[in-house]
Amino acid sequence: MEERDGGFRKETVDRLLRLHFRDRRTRVNGDAQLLMAEMLNIFVREAAARAARQAQAEDLEVVDIDQVEKVLPQLLLDF
Amino acid sequence: MEGQGSEERLLLIQRLKAAVHYTVGCLCQDVAEDKGVRLSKQAVAAISEISFRQCENFAKDLEMFARHAKRSTITTEDVKLLARRSSSLLKYITQKSEEITSSNMEQKERKKKKSSAAKGVRTEEHPEAAVTESGDSNME
Repeated sequence: MEERDGGFRKETVDRLLRLHFRDRRTRVNGDAQLLMAEMLNIFVREAAARAARQAQAEDLEVVDIDQVEKVLPQLLLDF
Repeated sequence: MEGQGSEERLLLIQRLKAAVHYTVGCLCQDVAEDKGVRLSKQAVAAISEISFRQCENFAKDLEMFARHAKRSTITTEDVKLLARRSSSLLKYITQKSEEITSSNMEQKERKKKKSSAAKGVRTEEHPEAAVTESGDSNME
């Protein structure tokens, strides 16, 4: 698997998911861990990219919380 | 006893949030460079918090999907279901899933070749095995 500069490690992803399982027996297989890491990478990148686009649309140089808030609803709907 | 458990959990949550924040920071930096913008610390922190919370939704959905399929282990099929809401997302995830599968197969092939080279046996021919099996029934 390609290792980008930053990107979720599958061990971290596994622990993140396990934190919220209702059943203690629930596990995530290795491939699914990798895939979920990708999923999270995309989620974060989308959030940042959409907020950046929003800032550009508002003619701002710095992306701040306001822009993140504006793109949040659609982001959550798309995921 | 319960008090200790919840303390441990809080510690784990703290550590995970920190790990997420670090990774989110890296990814955001990537995107910021790409787009030629700057992201404020607060924006990154917000994205980090949102991502952490989104994991809860993901986890619960994944668990439900696996349980619905009468499994206790979450597989890539469950993850693909998670990505169903956006067609481009689903396409990307499906592609990644295939990449993972094919890289797994490549690894298996490499292992096979390694182990058969070490044993000095060709994988196509097993004439010896046939002979020993039809022979003595006393010997295992």
